[in-house]
Amino acid sequence: MLDFFSIFSKGGIVLWCFQGAGVSESFTGPVNALIRSVILQERSGNNSFTHNALSLKYKLDNEFELVFVVGFQKILTLTYVDKFIDDVQLHFRDRYKNELEQRGALKFLLNNFEFGDDFHRLLREAEVSSKAKAPASMRNFNESEKSKKTVKSMIETKDGDKSKEQGGKKSKNAKKEAESGGDQAKAASQTASKKAVENGNEGLTQEEIIERNRAKFISKQLGGGKAEKPSKSPKPQKPKGKVNRVWDMSGKSIGELDYSGTNGNNSSDAQNQDPDATAEPLIQVDSMKGDLRGVDYESSDDDDDDEDEVVQEEERVVVANTKKGAKKGGFGGMFGMLKGLVGSKNLTQEDMEPVLEKMRDHLIAKNVAAEISSQLCNSVAKKLEGKVMGTFTTVASTVKQALQDSLVQILQPKRRVDILRDVLEARSQRKPFVITFCGVNGVGKSTNLAKISYWLIENGFTVLIAACDTFRAGAVEQLRTHQRRLNSLHPLEKHGGQPAVQLFEKGYGKDAAGIAMEAIAFARNQVFDVVLIDTAGRMQDNGPLMTALAKLIAVNTPDLVLFVGEALVGNEAVDQLVKFNQALADHSKTDKPRLIDGIVLTKFDTIDDKVGAAISMTYITGQPIVFVGTGQTYSDLRSLNARAVVSALMKA
Amino acid sequence: MDEKIHLDLQDFSEEQFMESFLKEIQSEEAVFILGIFLALALVVLTVVFFGNFWGSSKARNAVLLLGLCDSGKTLLFTRLLLGKFVRTQTSITESSATYKSKDDRGGSWTLIDVPGHESLRVQIVEKHKAVARAVVFVVDSSIFQKDVRDVAEFLYSILTDNIVAKNAPTLVVACNKQDISMAKSAKLIQQQLEKEMNTLRLTRSAALSSQDGAVGGSVYLGKKGKDFEFSQLPNRVEFIECSARGSKDDGGADIDAIEKCLAKL
Repeated sequence: MLDFFSIFSKGGIVLWCFQGAGVSESFTGPVNALIRSVILQERSGNNSFTHNALSLKYKLDNEFELVFVVGFQKILTLTYVDKFIDDVQLHFRDRYKNELEQRGALKFLLNNFEFGDDFHRLLREAEVSSKAKAPASMRNFNESEKSKKTVKSMIETKDGDKSKEQGGKKSKNAKKEAESGGDQAKAASQTASKKAVENGNEGLTQEEIIERNRAKFISKQLGGGKAEKPSKSPKPQKPKGKVNRVWDMSGKSIGELDYSGTNGNNSSDAQNQDPDATAEPLIQVDSMKGDLRGVDYESSDDDDDDEDEVVQEEERVVVANTKKGAKKGGFGGMFGMLKGLVGSKNLTQEDMEPVLEKMRDHLIAKNVAAEISSQLCNSVAKKLEGKVMGTFTTVASTVKQALQDSLVQILQPKRRVDILRDVLEARSQRKPFVITFCGVNGVGKSTNLAKISYWLIENGFTVLIAACDTFRAGAVEQLRTHQRRLNSLHPLEKHGGQPAVQLFEKGYGKDAAGIAMEAIAFARNQVFDVVLIDTAGRMQDNGPLMTALAKLIAVNTPDLVLFVGEALVGNEAVDQLVKFNQALADHSKTDKPRLIDGIVLTKFDTIDDKVGAAISMTYITGQPIVFVGTGQTYSDLRSLNARAVVSALMKA
Repeated sequence: MDEKIHLDLQDFSEEQFMESFLKEIQSEEAVFILGIFLALALVVLTVVFFGNFWGSSKARNAVLLLGLCDSGKTLLFTRLLLGKFVRTQTSITESSATYKSKDDRGGSWTLIDVPGHESLRVQIVEKHKAVARAVVFVVDSSIFQKDVRDVAEFLYSILTDNIVAKNAPTLVVACNKQDISMAKSAKLIQQQLEKEMNTLRLTRSAALSSQDGAVGGSVYLGKKGKDFEFSQLPNRVEFIECSARGSKDDGGADIDAIEKCLAKL
């Protein structure tokens, strides 16, 4: 039932492979996709991956640098696969230990790894063992304990109809042969409760019984009582006919519920607000006189207290754990340390755990998002598990080095990043190169757009800025000021009489997607090289605005969609990027939606060495950081240096 | 008892020796001390000098197999070493092995197969670039038209690396996958690459500096003012065609040209 199983070295040479019967297509493609998206992007925390109709599971053997991959159809849920991979790995290692311990890449090529028979044997064993665990068959009624009891003992003396019910139920049980366990349990609990009730209730009236039951129930709730389950809700005493429901706001007539008069005719049209600003119900003129009121502190205080308590508890637990761990270390630890110095020690999860904890906290302190730090640390653990350490290296240094390597790997762009080259290509095809800037409010879209247009003009391209931010007051004027300043810096003569930068705007309140389309058409007619589209900032969970942005991008298909994010953001980065990508994917009509293609990291000069936001953003999207903004003047635009960022990140 | 006395005497004599040695040194004239120090310094210097020379000439004996993903580097690696065909997947780590060329004259090199994936290649090239005697740049000839910009960018970043530019290793551009009918010839690939590198010279020098002020790659390839040609480079450049898979699956691969090149190193 497996589609394929492949064992290959980390250097890329396939040692042995198995292709299931009836499977015609090669598995090289899916396995390559697995390698590229999971292992190389440091997502090896969980070990399964789906690719089209196939589901792949894999296991890394770090000691001998091997990878074991199994693939099967996604719709099948095979339970034995995890254990099967582990078995195969152990078996393969044991059998070929000698060959694999040689050094150099030739060992993979020279030796013939004939694993077919063992593999089939293990597969048969795995399939058999998975079938063997059928659920235990139910006892039929005659074997159960209930049939041993007499009917009379189970009848309640108190309520005549209750006993009748019980009898009825029992007869039903008697008729059915294979009852589910639940019924039996229910019946058992019923009997227990009935017995209890029966004991105490002789000679009491209906109401007193109810009272006593209620008291018992309440006391049980408060005191965390035992197995005395409350008896099944007594068929409600249908009392005195129906009573009218009374609502809180009852007593008002229809007329009073009509509020349309007071709020009146203030529509939410932003355009007409100017003369009617004073009529806005939210703003009470003269309410802001005097000193500003403080922020509401009570709720936040409560939250802080709770948080502190939780944090303290966690700390206590962590301290207790580490103390226990240290004690257990002791003697065994010293021997292990000596072995580690010599260089024949295998890394295990327990060895790496304390170091990884520290690294996780260190990354979080450097402003990497919390879930990304833990995913990264898990992935590094998976990559190092079972590896043999070199001589005179400690666990801490190995883990740190591995983490550093994976961070550099994440920050390296996965595709070519050369905007100027792409603009030249578009110019040779006689169409403008369109870049869209999107992001949440206040991250620096307009400022960095101006910086990028300055850079492009310096390199001899003509730029058209499309003002598609039609909401924020002064957005168009801001861009016009930038345009004027840029044009004065680059006088007309140098660009053959044409101004270097032009602004395409249609005022406020219009549809952004329409303005963008007109701007691109205008650029094509007037032979502009680049079109920079500035959009309004929007929160990632604002549905309508996200839809509008997705529509703009889907309709205009820009060449580059840049997400502008500030370096100060912390865990929010993950949420922003995920929701932006999701909105873009959901609202596009094609099956290959345009997602975010690159990231602009702004306000980089405000963070000292807490550069973790770069990692969070590239990890989540897999897209490179194209520009880094380091200030407010036109020349404060840089490209990312992965090594410098990682060394700043790993600095103590 | 005797032993104890013996030990005591020994200790005592050692101390005396040390004291006398020190006294002697102090009593010596300054010139002698200076002479001794100078001799020591000379010895240290020579050792360091030789170490450098030795190190550099001994170390540069690696041949790097570079190229984009899926260009056929790992299969070429296997073919050169053993001549047999293996299935391959995307490499995650580099593989290295000693290669002895078929001619008796040729030396033996360390053949290093560097993964082509973008996130790995930069670090691994960093590790091995100092010891590179030759670079075999493998190009997938069948999809070259589509990837010409990526290929050129990778080649450009290697050639403008400071250490590589200083060492000037031999560059062999292997146009692989010639067994596919759509494959472009080596001449065509050379022309296209030259055009592309010409453009890249402009755009890369205008690229933004990185955030700590370092400007990458200040090496200028070729001659200013003239179109870029591979013959302008200080390295020896050769374009050859090859096919690592061979026209039939089990048939011999067509890599004689590469083997000849490597033998000439």
